[in-house]
Amino acid sequence: MNPTILVILHALSAVALIGALTHQALAVWWSARQPVHFVQRFRAVPPAVYANAIVVLYLITFALGGWLYPDYRLNIRVVLEQMELPMANGSFELKEHFAVMGLSMLPAYWYFWRAPADQSHARTRAFLTALLAFIVWWNFLVGHVLNNIRGFGA
Amino acid sequence: MNSQRNLSAFCVVFGVVFSLAYLLAVWKNYALFTYHPAIGAFAWGAEKAREGGPAMYWYGWIATAGIAGAGAGLIAAILPARYTLRLWSGLAWLAPLCAMVVFGYILRNYFLH
Repeated sequence: MNPTILVILHALSAVALIGALTHQALAVWWSARQPVHFVQRFRAVPPAVYANAIVVLYLITFALGGWLYPDYRLNIRVVLEQMELPMANGSFELKEHFAVMGLSMLPAYWYFWRAPADQSHARTRAFLTALLAFIVWWNFLVGHVLNNIRGFGA
Repeated sequence: MNSQRNLSAFCVVFGVVFSLAYLLAVWKNYALFTYHPAIGAFAWGAEKAREGGPAMYWYGWIATAGIAGAGAGLIAAILPARYTLRLWSGLAWLAPLCAMVVFGYILRNYFLH
Protein backbone atom coordinates (compact mmCIF):
# COMPACT_ATOMS: atom_id res chain seq x y z
CA MET A 1 0.00 0.00 0.00
CA ASN A 2 1.12 3.57 -0.68
CA PRO A 3 3.05 4.88 2.36
CA THR A 4 1.24 8.23 2.22
CA ILE A 5 -2.14 6.49 2.55
CA LEU A 6 -0.73 4.34 5.36
CA VAL A 7 0.61 7.33 7.29
CA ILE A 8 -2.76 9.09 6.97
CA LEU A 9 -4.57 5.99 8.30
CA HIS A 10 -1.97 5.73 11.10
CA ALA A 11 -2.57 9.37 12.01
CA LEU A 12 -6.37 9.05 11.89
CA SER A 13 -6.41 6.01 14.19
CA ALA A 14 -3.98 7.85 16.50
CA VAL A 15 -6.34 10.85 16.63
CA ALA A 16 -9.25 8.59 17.64
CA LEU A 17 -7.04 6.86 20.23
CA ILE A 18 -5.77 10.12 21.71
CA GLY A 19 -9.33 11.43 22.01
CA ALA A 20 -10.60 8.32 23.78
CA LEU A 21 -7.60 8.08 26.12
CA THR A 22 -7.66 11.77 27.01
CA HIS A 23 -11.37 11.55 27.84
CA GLN A 24 -10.72 8.50 30.01
CA ALA A 25 -7.60 9.84 31.75
CA LEU A 26 -9.28 13.16 32.64
CA ALA A 27 -12.43 11.38 33.81
CA VAL A 28 -10.30 9.18 36.09
CA TRP A 29 -7.89 11.80 37.45
CA TRP A 30 -10.02 14.97 37.35
CA SER A 31 -13.65 13.93 37.17
CA ALA A 32 -16.44 16.50 37.06
CA ARG A 33 -19.67 15.69 38.92
CA GLN A 34 -21.87 18.51 37.72
CA PRO A 35 -20.68 19.45 34.26
CA VAL A 36 -21.56 22.94 33.12
CA HIS A 37 -19.02 24.13 30.57
CA PHE A 38 -17.15 22.32 27.78
CA VAL A 39 -14.07 21.22 29.76
CA GLN A 40 -16.22 19.86 32.60
CA ARG A 41 -18.36 17.94 30.12
CA PHE A 42 -15.16 16.54 28.57
CA ARG A 43 -14.19 15.21 32.02
CA ALA A 44 -17.65 13.98 33.02
CA VAL A 45 -17.73 10.89 30.80
CA PRO A 46 -17.99 7.33 32.23
CA PRO A 47 -14.36 6.20 31.71
CA ALA A 48 -14.99 2.45 31.51
CA VAL A 49 -16.90 2.68 28.23
CA TYR A 50 -13.71 3.68 26.39
CA ALA A 51 -11.56 0.74 27.48
CA ASN A 52 -12.32 -1.80 24.74
CA ALA A 53 -12.20 0.84 22.01
CA ILE A 54 -8.83 2.02 23.34
CA VAL A 55 -7.40 -1.52 23.21
CA VAL A 56 -8.60 -2.02 19.62
CA LEU A 57 -7.43 1.43 18.48
CA TYR A 58 -4.03 0.93 20.13
CA LEU A 59 -3.54 -2.37 18.31
CA ILE A 60 -4.61 -0.87 14.97
CA THR A 61 -2.38 2.19 15.42
CA PHE A 62 0.54 0.01 16.50
CA ALA A 63 0.12 -2.36 13.55
CA LEU A 64 -0.05 0.52 11.06
CA GLY A 65 3.06 2.07 12.62
CA GLY A 66 4.87 -1.25 12.39
CA TRP A 67 3.86 -1.57 8.75
CA LEU A 68 5.18 1.93 8.01
CA TYR A 69 8.44 1.50 9.91
CA PRO A 70 10.54 0.04 7.03
CA ASP A 71 9.65 3.07 4.89
CA TYR A 72 10.73 5.36 7.71
CA ARG A 73 13.96 3.40 8.19
CA LEU A 74 14.87 3.53 4.50
CA ASN A 75 13.67 6.96 3.46
CA ILE A 76 13.32 9.23 6.49
CA ARG A 77 15.87 8.29 9.13
CA VAL A 78 18.80 8.52 6.71
CA VAL A 79 17.73 12.05 5.74
CA LEU A 80 17.38 13.08 9.41
CA GLU A 81 20.94 11.87 10.00
CA GLN A 82 22.17 13.79 6.95
CA MET A 83 20.36 16.90 8.24
CA GLU A 84 22.13 16.40 11.59
CA LEU A 85 18.92 16.24 13.65
CA PRO A 86 19.86 13.85 16.47
CA MET A 87 17.02 15.04 18.69
CA ALA A 88 14.47 14.10 16.02
CA ASN A 89 16.08 10.66 15.63
CA GLY A 90 16.26 10.16 19.39
CA SER A 91 12.63 11.16 19.79
CA PHE A 92 11.65 8.52 17.27
CA GLU A 93 13.80 5.90 19.04
CA LEU A 94 11.89 6.69 22.24
CA LYS A 95 8.60 6.55 20.32
CA GLU A 96 9.26 3.01 19.09
CA HIS A 97 10.25 1.79 22.57
CA PHE A 98 7.40 3.60 24.35
CA ALA A 99 4.92 2.09 21.87
CA VAL A 100 6.12 -1.39 22.86
CA MET A 101 5.83 -0.51 26.55
CA GLY A 102 2.21 0.47 25.89
CA LEU A 103 1.69 -2.88 24.20
CA SER A 104 3.06 -4.69 27.26
CA MET A 105 0.51 -2.93 29.49
CA LEU A 106 -2.48 -3.60 27.26
CA PRO A 107 -3.60 -6.99 28.73
CA ALA A 108 -3.47 -5.61 32.30
CA TYR A 109 -5.20 -2.39 31.19
CA TRP A 110 -7.98 -4.41 29.55
CA TYR A 111 -8.28 -6.76 32.53
CA PHE A 112 -8.53 -4.08 35.23
CA TRP A 113 -11.04 -2.02 33.23
CA ARG A 114 -13.38 -5.08 32.94
CA ALA A 115 -14.58 -4.44 36.50
CA PRO A 116 -14.51 -0.66 36.96
CA ALA A 117 -16.55 -0.90 40.18
CA ASP A 118 -13.77 -2.92 41.86
CA GLN A 119 -12.17 -0.24 44.05
CA SER A 120 -9.28 -2.50 45.12
CA HIS A 121 -7.65 -1.92 41.71
CA ALA A 122 -8.74 1.70 41.18
CA ARG A 123 -5.20 3.04 41.58
CA THR A 124 -3.75 0.46 39.17
CA ARG A 125 -6.41 1.41 36.60
CA ALA A 126 -5.64 5.10 37.05
CA PHE A 127 -1.88 4.68 36.63
CA LEU A 128 -2.22 2.31 33.65
CA THR A 129 -4.51 4.86 31.99
CA ALA A 130 -2.18 7.79 32.75
CA LEU A 131 0.92 6.02 31.45
CA LEU A 132 -0.87 4.86 28.32
CA ALA A 133 -2.12 8.42 27.75
CA PHE A 134 1.41 9.79 28.15
CA ILE A 135 2.77 7.24 25.64
CA VAL A 136 0.08 8.00 23.08
CA TRP A 137 0.52 11.77 23.44
CA TRP A 138 4.33 11.48 23.15
CA ASN A 139 4.11 9.23 20.12
CA PHE A 140 1.49 11.38 18.45
CA LEU A 141 3.49 14.60 18.87
CA VAL A 142 6.79 13.01 17.79
CA GLY A 143 5.13 11.45 14.74
CA HIS A 144 3.53 14.76 13.87
CA VAL A 145 6.80 16.72 14.16
CA LEU A 146 8.75 14.12 12.16
CA ASN A 147 6.13 14.20 9.46
CA ASN A 148 6.50 17.98 9.34
CA ILE A 149 10.29 17.67 9.03
CA ARG A 150 10.21 15.01 6.36
CA GLY A 151 6.75 13.82 5.41
CA PHE A 152 6.26 10.79 3.23
CA GLY A 153 6.44 11.67 -0.42
CA ALA A 154 8.56 14.74 0.33
CA MET B 1 -12.98 -17.08 40.90
CA ASN B 2 -9.98 -19.21 40.00
CA SER B 3 -10.14 -18.25 36.34
CA GLN B 4 -10.30 -14.57 37.35
CA ARG B 5 -7.20 -14.99 39.50
CA ASN B 6 -5.40 -16.87 36.70
CA LEU B 7 -6.24 -14.17 34.18
CA SER B 8 -5.14 -11.43 36.58
CA ALA B 9 -1.82 -13.21 37.24
CA PHE B 10 -1.27 -13.72 33.50
CA CYS B 11 -1.92 -10.05 32.67
CA VAL B 12 0.31 -8.64 35.41
CA VAL B 13 3.20 -11.07 34.88
CA PHE B 14 2.96 -10.70 31.10
CA GLY B 15 3.31 -6.91 31.43
CA VAL B 16 6.25 -7.11 33.81
CA VAL B 17 8.21 -9.80 31.95
CA PHE B 18 7.42 -8.43 28.49
CA SER B 19 8.64 -4.92 29.34
CA LEU B 20 11.80 -6.12 31.12
CA ALA B 21 12.57 -8.74 28.45
CA TYR B 22 12.17 -6.08 25.76
CA LEU B 23 14.56 -3.78 27.61
CA LEU B 24 17.10 -6.62 27.85
CA ALA B 25 16.56 -7.58 24.19
CA VAL B 26 17.26 -4.00 23.06
CA TRP B 27 20.24 -3.60 25.38
CA LYS B 28 21.92 -6.91 24.42
CA ASN B 29 20.37 -7.14 20.94
CA TYR B 30 18.56 -10.42 21.52
CA ALA B 31 16.41 -10.18 18.41
CA LEU B 32 14.57 -13.37 17.50
CA PHE B 33 14.92 -12.37 13.85
CA THR B 34 16.22 -9.54 11.70
CA TYR B 35 14.42 -7.79 8.86
CA HIS B 36 16.36 -6.28 5.96
CA PRO B 37 13.89 -3.74 4.52
CA ALA B 38 15.93 -2.80 1.45
CA ILE B 39 15.74 -6.35 0.08
CA GLY B 40 12.63 -7.51 1.99
CA ALA B 41 14.47 -10.44 3.61
CA PHE B 42 14.21 -12.02 7.07
CA ALA B 43 16.96 -13.87 8.93
CA TRP B 44 16.98 -15.74 12.24
CA GLY B 45 18.68 -14.02 15.18
CA ALA B 46 20.43 -10.65 15.15
CA GLU B 47 22.14 -10.39 11.79
CA LYS B 48 24.35 -7.51 10.68
CA ALA B 49 23.20 -5.19 7.91
CA ARG B 50 23.58 -6.61 4.44
CA GLU B 51 25.03 -4.61 1.60
CA GLY B 52 22.80 -1.89 0.31
CA GLY B 53 20.55 -1.41 3.34
CA PRO B 54 20.10 -1.32 7.09
CA ALA B 55 19.05 -4.16 9.39
CA MET B 56 15.90 -3.79 11.52
CA TYR B 57 15.80 -5.53 14.89
CA TRP B 58 12.65 -3.93 16.36
CA TYR B 59 10.27 -6.68 15.21
CA GLY B 60 12.70 -9.32 16.49
CA TRP B 61 12.98 -7.63 19.89
CA ILE B 62 9.17 -7.58 20.18
CA ALA B 63 9.00 -11.28 19.25
CA THR B 64 11.66 -12.17 21.86
CA ALA B 65 9.87 -10.19 24.57
CA GLY B 66 6.46 -11.51 23.50
CA ILE B 67 7.56 -15.12 23.87
CA ALA B 68 9.16 -14.40 27.27
CA GLY B 69 6.10 -12.46 28.49
CA ALA B 70 3.56 -15.02 27.27
CA GLY B 71 5.58 -17.92 28.69
CA ALA B 72 6.00 -16.31 32.11
CA GLY B 73 2.34 -15.23 32.12
CA LEU B 74 1.15 -18.76 31.37
CA ILE B 75 3.36 -20.18 34.12
CA ALA B 76 1.96 -17.60 36.58
CA ALA B 77 -1.59 -18.48 35.52
CA ILE B 78 -1.16 -22.21 36.27
CA LEU B 79 0.78 -21.79 39.51
CA PRO B 80 -1.10 -22.56 42.75
CA ALA B 81 -2.94 -19.55 44.17
CA ARG B 82 -0.59 -19.19 47.13
CA TYR B 83 2.21 -18.02 44.79
CA THR B 84 0.26 -15.34 42.96
CA LEU B 85 -2.39 -14.21 45.46
CA ARG B 86 -0.20 -11.44 46.83
CA LEU B 87 1.06 -10.29 43.43
CA TRP B 88 0.80 -6.48 43.42
CA SER B 89 -1.22 -5.33 40.41
CA GLY B 90 0.70 -2.04 40.32
CA LEU B 91 3.69 -3.90 38.84
CA ALA B 92 1.76 -3.86 35.56
CA TRP B 93 2.47 -0.12 35.18
CA LEU B 94 5.58 0.23 37.36
CA ALA B 95 7.76 -2.17 35.33
CA PRO B 96 7.03 -0.48 31.96
CA LEU B 97 7.51 2.95 33.58
CA CYS B 98 10.94 1.92 34.91
CA ALA B 99 11.86 0.50 31.50
CA MET B 100 10.86 3.81 29.86
CA VAL B 101 13.12 5.73 32.25
CA VAL B 102 16.01 3.38 31.37
CA PHE B 103 15.33 3.90 27.65
CA GLY B 104 15.52 7.64 28.24
CA TYR B 105 18.89 7.15 29.92
CA ILE B 106 20.21 4.82 27.19
CA LEU B 107 19.22 7.30 24.48
CA ARG B 108 20.31 10.45 26.35
CA ASN B 109 23.15 11.20 23.93
CA TYR B 110 20.64 12.03 21.19
CA PHE B 111 19.42 14.92 23.35
CA LEU B 112 22.64 16.11 24.98
CA HIS B 113 24.59 17.06 21.83
